[in-house]
Amino acid sequence: MALGMPPALPTFYELVADAAWQSIEFVSDLHLSAQQPHTVAAWADYLAHSKANAIYILGDLFEVWVGDDACRPGRFEQQAADLLAQAASQRTLGFMAGNRDFLVGVAMLRACGVAAMPDPTLLSAWGQRVLLTHGDALCLSDETYQAFRHQVRSDTWRTSFLAQPLSARERLARQMRDASEANKRRQSVAAWGDVDTAAAVAWMHACGSRDMIHGHTHRPGSEVIAPGYTRHVLSDWDCDAMPHRAQVLRLTRDGFARVDLAP
Amino acid sequence: MSKTVEMTTSAGTLRIELDDAKAPASVANFLGYVAKGHYDNTVFHRVIKGFMVQGGGFEPGMKQKPTGAAITNEANNGVKNTHYTLAMARTSAPHSATAQFFINTKDNGFLDFKSESPQGWGYAVFGRVVAGTEVVDAIENMRTGRKGGHDDVPLEDVVIQRVVVV
Repeated sequence: MALGMPPALPTFYELVADAAWQSIEFVSDLHLSAQQPHTVAAWADYLAHSKANAIYILGDLFEVWVGDDACRPGRFEQQAADLLAQAASQRTLGFMAGNRDFLVGVAMLRACGVAAMPDPTLLSAWGQRVLLTHGDALCLSDETYQAFRHQVRSDTWRTSFLAQPLSARERLARQMRDASEANKRRQSVAAWGDVDTAAAVAWMHACGSRDMIHGHTHRPGSEVIAPGYTRHVLSDWDCDAMPHRAQVLRLTRDGFARVDLAP
Repeated sequence: MSKTVEMTTSAGTLRIELDDAKAPASVANFLGYVAKGHYDNTVFHRVIKGFMVQGGGFEPGMKQKPTGAAITNEANNGVKNTHYTLAMARTSAPHSATAQFFINTKDNGFLDFKSESPQGWGYAVFGRVVAGTEVVDAIENMRTGRKGGHDDVPLEDVVIQRVVVV
């Protein structure tokens, strides 16, 4: 694929918000793991106290997910699934996979009462059309990553990976993560991954939305990327470093607002 | 009467006014580290655009420098974590700040003192950048990655070369 060529337009799965809702909140990039206890606690606290009618998770909720069979009593994955199930009993919860947790299965989500959201998803809420995506699919200049993504999102790869024992999958996941970190360090500043804004605008134009929400880059902020087209990048979370970082993007009838969560 | 320090970094020079009226313990603590040369050859090791830049604790290569005793948290001094203020970094224990500080790169009201509880203590503001805010902006925009087990580390070291009272 030539550098800068936009991919073929994806299919836009449509999600319609309940007209009676008051607010919807978006999060991504929490990278939860057993090694981040404060961040997990902050997530649990947020889920328990949010007043949103719906919470949509736009990828990388988990630092890594090697298969739903990791949900076993006593494991972190089971604790995390229990949190999702508890939250889903109180409000609508939607989950879109990111580049770290794309192996979260539909079965696990269904068991927790969480809706599985394809990437991208077009949300219609209070007359506003908002395009939701994790963001990695639009980082077109990172050709190595796009080739990797194409490979690991295939059914063949998924089946073959999940067929391996859990311990082998965990080891492979660590290796893939180390390789990804090394690759990032090797990239020049010019190749630094960010969403290809032309492709993002093409997506928004194709589905009639003026706003896109994505995560992945860990560089939060809202900016007009072309006349009439705004992208809102979600913050990652890290409550195991101080000062902590945890923010949600809230959408109401009146538009967008960012909410920093108190320690 | 406020005191001023000049901080020379590999990204440029800042001038910082310290508020020893509102944060006497934090300012005295900071000046103690300045006098010992503690901050010389430390880095801004945690840089998050749209949030804050944090430093004063690690040498280049992410080797942590030894520090003195923790100080009391003065966040209940009424001073807010506004853009370009300096605040003491700490662990989750409210009164655990030693040498590390951070510079707010936006108004971070959620870091202000709310109550004397572990969640409510907030972060003590003890100074502000009065010259060289463009240097803070430059540091804030540096490309970061994972280094030495830490996230958000500038890929090119941002070194604090010298801090002196002026």
